Amino acid sequence: MMQMARRFGGLAGMLAVIAFFAINLPETFLTPRNLLNISQQVSMLTVVAATMTVVMVMGDFDLSVGSMASLAGVVAAMLFTRDFSIGAALAASLAVGLAGGLFNGLMVSVVGILPFVATLATLTVFSGLAFLVSDGRTIFGRDIPEAFGAFARGGPVLGSVDERALVLPNLTLVAAVVVLLVWLVLEQTSYGRRLYAIGGNRDAARLAGLPVVGLRLSAFAFTGLGAALAGLMYASRVASANPTQGDGLMLTAIAAVFLGMTLTRDGQPRVLATLAGVVVLGVLDNGLTQMRVDSYVREVLVGAIILFAVGLSALGRRGLRRG
Amino acid sequence: MHRLTLDQVSRRFGEVAALDGVDLTLVSGEVHALMGENGAGKSTLIRTLAGLDRPDTGRLALDGTPLPAGNPAAMRAAGLRFIHQELHAVRGLSVAENMHLDHPYPRRAGLVDWRALNRAAAAALARLGLTGIDVRAPMTALGPGDQMLVRIASTLIPDAAPGARPAWLYVMDEPTAALTSGESERLFAVIGELVGQGAGILYVSHRMPEVLRLAHRVSVLRDGRNVSSRPLAETGEARIIEEMTGRDLGALFPPRPAARPAGEVVLRVADLAAGPLRGASLELRAGEILGLAGVAGSGRGALLRALIGALPWEAGSAELAGRPLGRGPARAWAEGLAYVPRERRTEGLMLRRPIAENVALPYLARLARLGLFLDHRRQRRLADELGGRVRLKAASVAQACEELSGGNQQKVLFARALAGGPRVLLLDEPTRGVDIGARAELYRLIRGLADTGLAVLMASSDLPELLGLSDRIAVLRDGRLAETVPAEGLTEAALLARFYHDDGAVT
Repeated sequence: MMQMARRFGGLAGMLAVIAFFAINLPETFLTPRNLLNISQQVSMLTVVAATMTVVMVMGDFDLSVGSMASLAGVVAAMLFTRDFSIGAALAASLAVGLAGGLFNGLMVSVVGILPFVATLATLTVFSGLAFLVSDGRTIFGRDIPEAFGAFARGGPVLGSVDERALVLPNLTLVAAVVVLLVWLVLEQTSYGRRLYAIGGNRDAARLAGLPVVGLRLSAFAFTGLGAALAGLMYASRVASANPTQGDGLMLTAIAAVFLGMTLTRDGQPRVLATLAGVVVLGVLDNGLTQMRVDSYVREVLVGAIILFAVGLSALGRRGLRRG
Repeated sequence: MHRLTLDQVSRRFGEVAALDGVDLTLVSGEVHALMGENGAGKSTLIRTLAGLDRPDTGRLALDGTPLPAGNPAAMRAAGLRFIHQELHAVRGLSVAENMHLDHPYPRRAGLVDWRALNRAAAAALARLGLTGIDVRAPMTALGPGDQMLVRIASTLIPDAAPGARPAWLYVMDEPTAALTSGESERLFAVIGELVGQGAGILYVSHRMPEVLRLAHRVSVLRDGRNVSSRPLAETGEARIIEEMTGRDLGALFPPRPAARPAGEVVLRVADLAAGPLRGASLELRAGEILGLAGVAGSGRGALLRALIGALPWEAGSAELAGRPLGRGPARAWAEGLAYVPRERRTEGLMLRRPIAENVALPYLARLARLGLFLDHRRQRRLADELGGRVRLKAASVAQACEELSGGNQQKVLFARALAGGPRVLLLDEPTRGVDIGARAELYRLIRGLADTGLAVLMASSDLPELLGLSDRIAVLRDGRLAETVPAEGLTEAALLARFYHDDGAVT
């Protein structure tokens, strides 16, 4: 009974949020255009949160994703200013993400630094590097190739409403592909199940012959790569790059995973639950903005809702254990 | 002079009677040893005395005045103190501060009076003759033995709570388990000091030599019943063992197979040095159960951990079926070793994950299609099949392990060990914390596996288990396998004597 309440309570709360906005914003909220708009707004967060889930299933987390996203964005933009091709710049920037993730993994699993400490340190390092690479400037305008910015604005046309084309944004598609990939890796491959095993009991996994060090290392590489991809998506969307633009992603991504964990039966991080968490946060942000709620008030509200949901879930689990 | 009495205390957990009408009297100035096999009810009795567990029926009284059951504060106020083998030292705090964890800090003008704090701590240590310990040093700078002595001394600091009796009865649960022999000697001296000052001790241990040396009175628990309480002069080692093990061991252990030709050597270990091991050598044959025996810390479990690759090797070699054994858990499992760890909750199971995932843990690569995608159906089938083989009782293999009894959790680990068709089974305390019924099933399972040609290496601290199940018993002393003897016809006393053979602790 308690378990049902815990599991579906979260879901009901999410539906309540959506219903609230649908009622208060009857004209604009539940329209196809707005929903597609939300899907694009949350696409970067989706990518970061989905790849964050990969390390969180092991009981680890990565605080450096936000500054890695910023760094990846400015690396690509700086290469654009040196007349590199789009392909080369993207590849280099993703390579930076992979390398940063591997470095995090190295610190956490080989050297044995707590993830909190290791990734807090690399957060600062990546952030500093982003300023160094960009000289502290925002790179925009003619330096950014037309096609790079156009990617985020484009997408397959779904139809038209009010004589304006309804476009499924490319960024939404990218996010969907990433979620699908992470889902496949975590839920359907033995690699993913091993990551869950490490989260379940690291010592047992090691004694059962799992290469725990290598697995943790590789999982952090995933997260670094996801952060870099999100940074590129962000840069494409605003057709510019500055050394702080990804910074807000980290806290929201971790919040989305935690929100998602309140939905799963066993309280484990799962990527589809993370997606639900992302959607809730995205809907809240979109709806509150439309209702012209002050942005500082919005932050207070979002934080309170996260505390409420995760707190409720923790209380529910405690009740479960007593029972 | 105080007297704590337990009168007809009973406590059931489901079908199992942990305590069954126990009468016990503990008095000042006496060391009262409590002995019994694992599962005899010792820990439930301790928890009852600590007020952590409430008996179903029965009474506790101090000097004739009834004590409320299940109330830790009341037991503390009655003057009881508990010394556990696991120490809970707070890192970063000094010895004096650790000694004041459950006392108010002395204060002056609202601030901590450090000089009074250190003085009180030093005074308490001095009462036990422990003048060599610096109370300002960090607690973690002390060895486990000194930490335990500090814990004991901290109980001598006067309690500020009104109406509280000073500590007079110390319950010590396997206090020497983590101590060196030198540290143990200092503990014994402190126990003598305490008893001389009028304290009573309930000394819970299965270490016969210690009990014979320290105790004034010995009580034996078996299957939750207090079988006897006698002055030491009226009992002795043989009698105590007989009272501890009085059950029909023949029914618990499956019969050994009739004499048959010895199997070929499957595992050969030579001069292994790792952890406490200093040049251990052994040969293990197909179809035999080799018990590993020795005092705690002798390297019983370390040998298994070294073989499975969880403990780094300093020297030595091992061959499995004539080929050098690979290092590291992954290689060891792949080459045909399987391991059931000692701590099933921390080292064995993913408690919140389903049974199927726990069974399949070492074989995920083999269960994948195209070497990549996990075949969930095959994983479930594997768990179903192995669960049947080990007679696992569970609603389904989708059930989380934390919902299973200790015995069934252990069977999940056996299912995992068997799923890969191993040649050698490494068992570390295979029936620890498992009730007697499930234990008998596990014994039958292990013997059945040996009969099919599996070689079993079993480390255990449970003497009846070693004697009843093993074909041969290897005794570890000083990091070596000192001798290997047939288990048939060996008595507990004879086996125990071999543990201490060199230092003459047992005659």
